[in-house]
Amino acid sequence: MQGIILFTVLASTYLMVIAKRMPALIRGFRFQSFCLFALTLIMAFSEHRLDLYIIAVLLFVLKVSLIPHFLYRTIRRIRANENLGLFINPQLSLIWAMAFTYLSWIFAARLAVFGQAILIGVMAIAFFIILAGMFLMMSRMSALAQIIGLLVMENGLFMLASTVSGGMPFFVEIAIFFDVFMSVLIMGIFVFRINKLFTHIDVNKLSRLKG
Amino acid sequence: MQISLILGIPALLSIGALFLGKRKIFGIVNCIGYLTVLCCAIGLFIEMILSNSAKVFRSFIYLDLLSAYFILVISVVAFAASIYSIGYIKKDIANKAISENKARFYYCLFDLFCFSMFLVPAVNNLGILWVAIEMTTLISAFLVGFYNSKESVEAAWKYIIICSVGIIFALLGTILLVYALSISGLSKSLNWSDIVPVAHLLDKNILKVAFIFILVGYGTKAGLAPMHTWLPDAHSQAVAPISALLSGVLLKTAIYAILRFGIIVIKGVGFAYFGNLMILLGMLSLAISCGFILVQKDLKRLLAYHSIEHVGIISIGFGIGGALGIGGALLHIFNHAVTKSLMFFGAGNVVNKYQTHNMHIIRGVLRAMPFTGFMLLMGAFALAGMAPFSIFISEILIICSAFLKGSYLVAFLLLGFIAIIFGAVVHHFSKILFGNAPKGMSVEKEPLSGKLAFLFLSFPICALWIALLFTNKDLTWIIQKLFQA
Repeated sequence: MQGIILFTVLASTYLMVIAKRMPALIRGFRFQSFCLFALTLIMAFSEHRLDLYIIAVLLFVLKVSLIPHFLYRTIRRIRANENLGLFINPQLSLIWAMAFTYLSWIFAARLAVFGQAILIGVMAIAFFIILAGMFLMMSRMSALAQIIGLLVMENGLFMLASTVSGGMPFFVEIAIFFDVFMSVLIMGIFVFRINKLFTHIDVNKLSRLKG
Repeated sequence: MQISLILGIPALLSIGALFLGKRKIFGIVNCIGYLTVLCCAIGLFIEMILSNSAKVFRSFIYLDLLSAYFILVISVVAFAASIYSIGYIKKDIANKAISENKARFYYCLFDLFCFSMFLVPAVNNLGILWVAIEMTTLISAFLVGFYNSKESVEAAWKYIIICSVGIIFALLGTILLVYALSISGLSKSLNWSDIVPVAHLLDKNILKVAFIFILVGYGTKAGLAPMHTWLPDAHSQAVAPISALLSGVLLKTAIYAILRFGIIVIKGVGFAYFGNLMILLGMLSLAISCGFILVQKDLKRLLAYHSIEHVGIISIGFGIGGALGIGGALLHIFNHAVTKSLMFFGAGNVVNKYQTHNMHIIRGVLRAMPFTGFMLLMGAFALAGMAPFSIFISEILIICSAFLKGSYLVAFLLLGFIAIIFGAVVHHFSKILFGNAPKGMSVEKEPLSGKLAFLFLSFPICALWIALLFTNKDLTWIIQKLFQA
């Protein structure tokens, strides 16, 4: 069961890497967060831990419903171009993503001291998600894509933390959730401001400050 | 006791800023609040020096000499900025740059920002430390984009995105530390007071990888090259008192985080690994900032690149190590914070008067605004490392320690870069300070609050360490105490 979910996490990340338009990207993110939610729920169920249940609920409320909803609303409100503006086209992005998968596999195999196959697999996928998030941030022009890239990186970190080391201490986890939510809200506010001042949200064209 | 006041006063003030009616009265209340905080911080520091033992409150707050020292640095700059804010905000309202309501908003954010910075050195848990540092980014992003012009919003966006990504790497490093703890079969508590006693048991390889991520992550926030790209934009666009806080103490809180992890790594892996990485990044920062300082046109960006230079010097000081190196770096943190704040206040006044950042247009500051001009002249020499001022003392300590350790290459490179930057700074500032003021520019009286802030800051720049040098024993004693911590 866990293997299947891990695979879907991987697949959803690939979907996001090749997405060309904003709604597809948000859908991919929602799907990925849902998989993480399922993963946490299974863990909570098998280990009978109340704190994991709470974290799973928070994950569902924030990352599956609230944040994607907020992002959809932002797109509708600013009526900006829905295209992401790709520096690297989907085919090349796919090749990059495959390279990242391989790299993170090697990195995870080196880092995992006790070589259980599933542990290495989880670590490899988590590192891949972090790399993919960073790739999204660097190769897409839209400011909203950068927010989603950041969220994807955060998802990867969450997965790494919860599976590899059995989770961060409980209240640290809660604080991090709160922090992520705040940062998305604040970045959203800045997207509105950018849209108002520049009449676009193309970060590639933000180049007034130099030297 | 003191710590609850230090954390509580900014938090209360931030709420008060929203509800208290009169802006003028609130500005003064703000000052009094930070004066109290400063007194508490001095009290805490002295208490820590005398008792020299760590304090833990309910496993949430952890205080030792290192954190007390950072709290002291933050409170000094916060107090100066709160005095300077009164005059600055008044002028902005008079110039119609911001509205009355926005001034209230400014004070609220200012206090929240200070609160989050005081939280960083006070917390025990390394995960909460991360949250506190991310909080500083989120709050100060509004202060960077405060004027809502195209440039400032662009700077704020770059700032928030680059720092968030950087800090995600720091979280990755923290998670790897948890992993190292869990495979060694130790308790997974991230409390600093629990980790340090067992640091030597941790897996060496994982600790090494974790520290690289930590250094990249918090290094982004500290403004170490090559992750420094947000810094000149944010510092040049923020409100002047905030520029001082950003450059003076925000960078230092990130350095504090690096140090905390560094101590774990030194215990687990050995000093050489930590030292080499710090020296490498420090040298890179010096080299990059040196080039940009030479060709800079924008006054506030010049000062921002200067911050990168000084962060580089600080990190080299920690990298060289030994009582002299680390003591020098710690003193440099204080000296740079104070001097750079003074310079940003001065630059804020100049920019307000001339309505431009461009150093080719600004001329004759000494004629147009004698007091600020004089302070800028003194600050520029202090910043470049001229002999009687405080920065000279900490720089010479770091260079001495490099020679004593036998790392001659580091010492020569450091001296070379400092010499080039000295030339560049003297050149730039002599151009803007001397000469005739533009026609039609009247000499105005400067606001009292601005002058007070300058005078308060110039005391530690000129007098404090010189006084300590004469009683040589005290200085070495403090350095040794800091080294033990």
